[in-house]
Amino acid sequence: MAFKAAQQKFTAKINETTVGTGERAISLGGENAFPFYSFDAPVENSPKIGIEIHDSGHYAGVPGMDAYYAGADTLAETARRAAAVEGVDFLAVSFDGAHPDSGDRSVEDCVEAIKEIADAVDIPIVIEGSKSVDKDAKLLDKISEALSGRNILVMSAREENYKSIAASAGLAYSQKISAESAVDINLAKQLNVLISQMGVKSENTVMNLGSAAAGYGFEYVASTIDRVKAAALAQNDTMLQMPIVTPVGAEAWTVKEAIVSEEDFPEWGPMEIRGINMEVSTAAACLAAGSNAVILRHPESVKAVSRLVKALI
Amino acid sequence: MAKFIVIGERIHCISPVIKKAMDERDPAPILKRAKEQLDAGADYLDVNIGPAEKGGDELMKWAVQLLQSEFDGVPLCLDTANRRAIEAGISVYDRSKGKPIVNSADAGDRIENIDLAAANDAVCLALCSKAGVPSDNDERMGYCQELLERGMSLGMDPDDIWFDPLFLVIKGMQDKQMEMLEFIRMLSDMGLKSTGGLSNVSNMMPKNIRPIMDSAMAAMAICMGLTSAIVNPCDLRLMETVRSCDVIRNNTLYADSYLEL
Repeated sequence: MAFKAAQQKFTAKINETTVGTGERAISLGGENAFPFYSFDAPVENSPKIGIEIHDSGHYAGVPGMDAYYAGADTLAETARRAAAVEGVDFLAVSFDGAHPDSGDRSVEDCVEAIKEIADAVDIPIVIEGSKSVDKDAKLLDKISEALSGRNILVMSAREENYKSIAASAGLAYSQKISAESAVDINLAKQLNVLISQMGVKSENTVMNLGSAAAGYGFEYVASTIDRVKAAALAQNDTMLQMPIVTPVGAEAWTVKEAIVSEEDFPEWGPMEIRGINMEVSTAAACLAAGSNAVILRHPESVKAVSRLVKALI
Repeated sequence: MAKFIVIGERIHCISPVIKKAMDERDPAPILKRAKEQLDAGADYLDVNIGPAEKGGDELMKWAVQLLQSEFDGVPLCLDTANRRAIEAGISVYDRSKGKPIVNSADAGDRIENIDLAAANDAVCLALCSKAGVPSDNDERMGYCQELLERGMSLGMDPDDIWFDPLFLVIKGMQDKQMEMLEFIRMLSDMGLKSTGGLSNVSNMMPKNIRPIMDSAMAAMAICMGLTSAIVNPCDLRLMETVRSCDVIRNNTLYADSYLEL
C-alpha cells in the first residue's frame, strides 16, 4: 500500500504583521503550520533576517566585520553597507550607547542618529532599545515620533515600561511594537494581554520571547518558543498568535566561544569563525523552534542563514 | 488539549420573560440574555423553545437568525422536543463559528435525533439513558455504546457525539455522585466528548449555595475528563473555576490575567 502522509491541520494561524513601507516592506508570520512544516501547509512568509548595527556604527573588534565596514565613517554609510549584505530583509539598530551606564547618549542625539540611518536605507527598520527601561520609555517615544510613517518595529516593550511604549509607539505613532520577555512563557502571554487591553491591535504586535546562545540554556528557549506556537495553533490562543522576533547577535557574540582569543585557546581555532558558528547555529535553532525573524550581526552569518532558509522553503 | 466548552443555558422558555419574548417575537429580552452570557464567556448558546408543538419550526428559525445575525454567527445548541423545529433551525444556521448542536438524543424514544444530527452534519448531545435514571454505570455504558454505534453507522465522527452522563441532584441522590463521575472518566478514557446539565446537582439548594456546589462539581468532573457543560455562564464563581481548571489541565497557557480572557 502506498504511503500516505497524514497532514496536521490547524484552523488557527499566526497573525501576519507587516513592517516597513513600499517594495521592501516585510510580512512576518501568517502561517498555520509548525516551522518549516511546508508538507502540512504552505509557509505564508518565509522567516526574515535582520542585520544589527548600533547607534554609533557597526559592532567593531571582529576582523571580518571591520573589513566589511572599512571606510564607512558615517552612520548613513554603515547603514547602507549593512543593508547591502546578501540575504538582509531588515535593519536593526540597537541603542547600546544610550544606556546610562554605557555612554548615556542623549535622546536628542539618538534621534539625530536614527534619522540619518533612516534616510540612508529603504529596508524596514527595527529599533532595539538601550536595555534601560527608564531610558527606553523616553527614547523609543521620540524615535517613534521621528520615524512616523516608516512603519518601524519598536522592540523592548517590557513589563516595566510597556504602558509608555504601547501608548506612544503603538497608539500615537502607529508603529509596530514587540513585547519583550526573558524566556518566561507566562509573562510573554501576560504582556500581550496587557498591551492588547491598552488598545494596540494584535496584528501590530510581535513577541521577543528572549534567547540564549546555543549551549547556554538554549533548551529553555526552544521549549518556550515551541509551547507558544503550540498554544497559538493547536489551542487557538489569540494572545499568543503574534509572530516571534528573536535577537541572536547580542547573545552569540558575548559567550566565551565567540570572544576568547586564538592565542589563549589555539586548539579552538580563529575567534571569528567560532563567533559566526555560534551565531548561525543559534539562529538556525531559533528558526527551527518557531522564530519568524532573527537579528544577526555578522554579514557572513546573515548570508549563511538566509541561504539555509531559501534551501528549506 | 482543547478548552472546556461552556454552553449557556439561559435562553430557556421556562423563564417567563423569555417565554413572552418568544411568543411575541420580541428580540430585546432574548438578545440581552445572549449578550450577558457571551460577555461572561459562553462558547455556545442553548436555545430552548420547549415542546413547541405548534409553530416550533418558525420560532426556531426566527431565534437562530436573530442570535446569529446579532452576534457574528455565534454557535447554537438547538433544544426542543420538536424534531421539525430543530431541522428548521439547522436549515438557516450559519456554520462559520461551529456546527449546530442537536439537544438531544437518548437511547429511548429520542434516539432518532442521532439520525437527524447525522443527516445534517450536526453535533448531537446523547443522554446515556433510556427512560429515567440509569441504575448503574453498566447500564449507562450500554446506552452509550448503542448511541455511538448508531451515529457511526450513519457516518458520524465520534467527536460529534457529546455524551451526557446525567448529572443527578445531590439532595436525594448523594450516594450516586461518585459513580456518575467515574462514568465521565470512562467516557474520557474512550476518547469521547461529554457534556451535561451540570447545575442539576445543586437543584433545590439555597441560592447562595448553588454556585459553590456547582463549582465543586465542575472541578471534579473536569478532572475526570468532562469536556463541556450546559451551565449558567453568568455564575462568576463557576466560570472562574472552569478557567482555572483549563489552566491546571494545560488546556490553556497561564497568564496573570487568565480570568479576564
